[in-house]
Amino acid sequence: MQYFIQVVVDGVATGAIYGALALAIVLVNRATGLINFAQGAMAVMSTFVAFGLIRAGVPLLLAAVVAIVFAFALGAFLERVVVRRFEGGDPDSAVVVTIGLLVLLGGISALFFGYEPQPFPSFFPLGTINIFGVFVSLRSVGTIVILLVAMVLLQVLFRSTKLGLAMRAVADNPRSSALSGLPVSRLLMVGWGLAAALGAIAGLLVAPQLFISPGMLDFALVYALAAAILGGLDSPVGAVVSAAFIGVVEGLAGAYIDFIGDDLKIAVPFAVMIFILVLRPQGLFGRKVVVRV
Amino acid sequence: MDKIFANRWLRLAALAVFAVLLIVAPLVSSRFINYQLSMIAVFAVALLGLNIVMGYTGQVSLGQSAFLGLGAYIAAYGVRNEWNLVLVLLLCAIIPAAVGMLVALAAARLRGLALAMITIALPIIGIPLARRFSEFTGGSQGTTVSFLGAPDWSGLANDQWQYYVVLTIAVVAFVLARNLVRGRVGRAFAIVKENESVALAMGVSPYRYKVLAFTISSLLGGVAGFMYLAIVQFTSPETMNFFTSINLVAAMVIGGSASIVGTILGAIYYVLVPVVAGQVNSSRTALISGAILLAVLFLLPRGLVSLPRRMSLLIGGTRRRGASPRDDQNSPDGASTADPGTPETPTAHEERQAR
Amino acid sequence: MSLLELENITASYGHAQALHGVSLSLPAGGAVGILGANGAGKTTTLRAISGMVKTTGRILFEGKDISGLSPDRVARLGIAHVPEGRGSLPQLSVRDNLLVGAYQRRDRKQIAEDIEYCLDLFPNLRERIKSNAAALSGGEQQMLAVARAVMAKPRVMLLDEASLGLAPSTSRRVYEAILRLRREAQLSMIVVEQNAVLAFSVVDHATVLETGKVALTGDKAELMGMDAVRRAYLGG
Repeated sequence: MQYFIQVVVDGVATGAIYGALALAIVLVNRATGLINFAQGAMAVMSTFVAFGLIRAGVPLLLAAVVAIVFAFALGAFLERVVVRRFEGGDPDSAVVVTIGLLVLLGGISALFFGYEPQPFPSFFPLGTINIFGVFVSLRSVGTIVILLVAMVLLQVLFRSTKLGLAMRAVADNPRSSALSGLPVSRLLMVGWGLAAALGAIAGLLVAPQLFISPGMLDFALVYALAAAILGGLDSPVGAVVSAAFIGVVEGLAGAYIDFIGDDLKIAVPFAVMIFILVLRPQGLFGRKVVVRV
Repeated sequence: MDKIFANRWLRLAALAVFAVLLIVAPLVSSRFINYQLSMIAVFAVALLGLNIVMGYTGQVSLGQSAFLGLGAYIAAYGVRNEWNLVLVLLLCAIIPAAVGMLVALAAARLRGLALAMITIALPIIGIPLARRFSEFTGGSQGTTVSFLGAPDWSGLANDQWQYYVVLTIAVVAFVLARNLVRGRVGRAFAIVKENESVALAMGVSPYRYKVLAFTISSLLGGVAGFMYLAIVQFTSPETMNFFTSINLVAAMVIGGSASIVGTILGAIYYVLVPVVAGQVNSSRTALISGAILLAVLFLLPRGLVSLPRRMSLLIGGTRRRGASPRDDQNSPDGASTADPGTPETPTAHEERQAR
Repeated sequence: MSLLELENITASYGHAQALHGVSLSLPAGGAVGILGANGAGKTTTLRAISGMVKTTGRILFEGKDISGLSPDRVARLGIAHVPEGRGSLPQLSVRDNLLVGAYQRRDRKQIAEDIEYCLDLFPNLRERIKSNAAALSGGEQQMLAVARAVMAKPRVMLLDEASLGLAPSTSRRVYEAILRLRREAQLSMIVVEQNAVLAFSVVDHATVLETGKVALTGDKAELMGMDAVRRAYLGG
């Protein structure tokens, strides 16, 4: 039982990282209708900013804050300067633009920091915490708590502020929003900025575990995409829950099914996902699109 | 392209020159260049499959590398067991096609991103499976084979012989695919891409044609896998890498979606840009490749295939400046051309919720 | 001086030119109808004003040229556009739709009062205040679109085919509300309509467009007296 709970908590923590990235993907998709394959690369680049600052002697927390601010600016900049031209055009071209960004940003990160994985300091002390008689790692608990807070803040932003209302409106129908006087251009930049900031948080949290390198989040991106789509793309809650689900399924399959073990466990959540999507094409939490003519 | 090739004789002459170049090139080039040319043929076939499902039929596919890898593994297994090579090639076409069809039968009712996700899952699941079943695949280390050496009577070096073999396969694949997309099936693909409801109303089953497109795409992916093994003589789980799929999608759009010539240009791009970038500065390959990709997209959003048209527009641009080129290249029989008679129709921007 | 003045506007979509030199004048407090067949350029004229298509010629609002401004800038100047097809925000609740309409305003108290006003104008919306716009009927969505425009407190409202696809009784209710708005909120408006009877219930002047050009212009009585107009647009 003790082991089971540890596996589940670790699974949720891993899932929470995917979840943050998935949420970033959902934010961008809602705002601009496209899948940003560069979401991971943007997060890694921002994490590298923190890495560079830490190496220069800046305290960890301050470096993290700067990295998150940098990520926001990077996201807003890329939306305005690169992605904007392709919005509303051919969707394949728009996706390929983000693939181009993925390659380019990875290259820029490598230009400054190389391809070798390097250690990154953790925000949490090593060790475990005793919760109702079960020992779970501080890192897992801390990761979950931070990401939960970030998600609650986002929810508050979207549900109870004017900016959030405007962003939801633009995501829903940009043309009508513009006709109501909403500064669509700026709101799209803010949407990308927020997504990038969220990605940076995920990057900062996972870097101590994976070691930092330009390709650090390549694999997490695939999980995040899976979580975002499984969750139904228009549902932030769905993305997060799906991500946790993927993390836990993978952990349990690896831990308890001998045939699967460590090497095959990756395949399990994806196989499960195929079944779910075939049965429920709109995802676990997505709304069925009702079209009124 | 059509303007330049409007003249039938000119078009034939260009084709003949191209053919001669393809035949003579390996005889006068280094092994390195032959290798690159062969790789272009390999990925041209993989891209052709991707273009049929994405470019012509409009269904996102992010799993082409899985079929490439599958084909390569089947070829490697057949070669190690000394099966007849023609049989091996057939199996490399049939088995991936069957797998692709099975996946499509389950997934083709899905749209957009749900479908994309299932295709993403293919390489993700394929790689650990390939590692696990090492008696077939050689596990993580991969498997090395040695086959398709030049026969003595030909007087060719191995690389030249292998080049001709993959070139022949590629030419056959392209001729067949060209006839397919120019014919009845191609029109059906175009209608499915344009509007599934319209397709249904016209008696074209979107489901059936999507399954067909996926099957053909997987078949070509598997054949490309055979060709890949013939040239590289090695395969490993890395052949299936998800990012190979992503880069193939990029190359397809860069070359030109729904275009045969564009597919070839895309393959040239896919193979050569990393090589060129690597020679400019080997530690900056990603940086340069990414910059080139974005630059091409900014200058030619419709892909390299639109370059001649774009240039003629720029040259003749003084006469009709500001006119936006809406060149629906290759849309068969105008099935998808916009109707200029109704300027009040709202633009498609409203429908960009990705679903 | 007129509030909104179009001088020799041309507009095109790609190669297809949709407007060939349209001029139009909307006096302050006035209401002008634009009539015409499908494809005559009615919607394009409204889009030209809102900056949704590329144009040549001048568009003067309160004497200042606003051509070339982006749609959101035009909206913030006080021109509210109720687009063809209603353009509601389907995933947002009715209340949120109204609040989006009031986005540029800061007067919280007045906004709450205006929401009440809109709900009086369209009592159907009051019952649906919490549902998503996607769940509304076509008529309710049209009402919501008009109400969202009203929430911006505009000087000018551009109304595009508000009766499209609605039952006759629903169309009449929408136009009754629009007439009330004209009287009570001192809104000037340009009304694009296929149904000239409905248009004439609100406007006092009208322009008839044919293939992107002004074919006729005149006041209500003049136009209704013409046989051609009666045959083409009034069903008799």
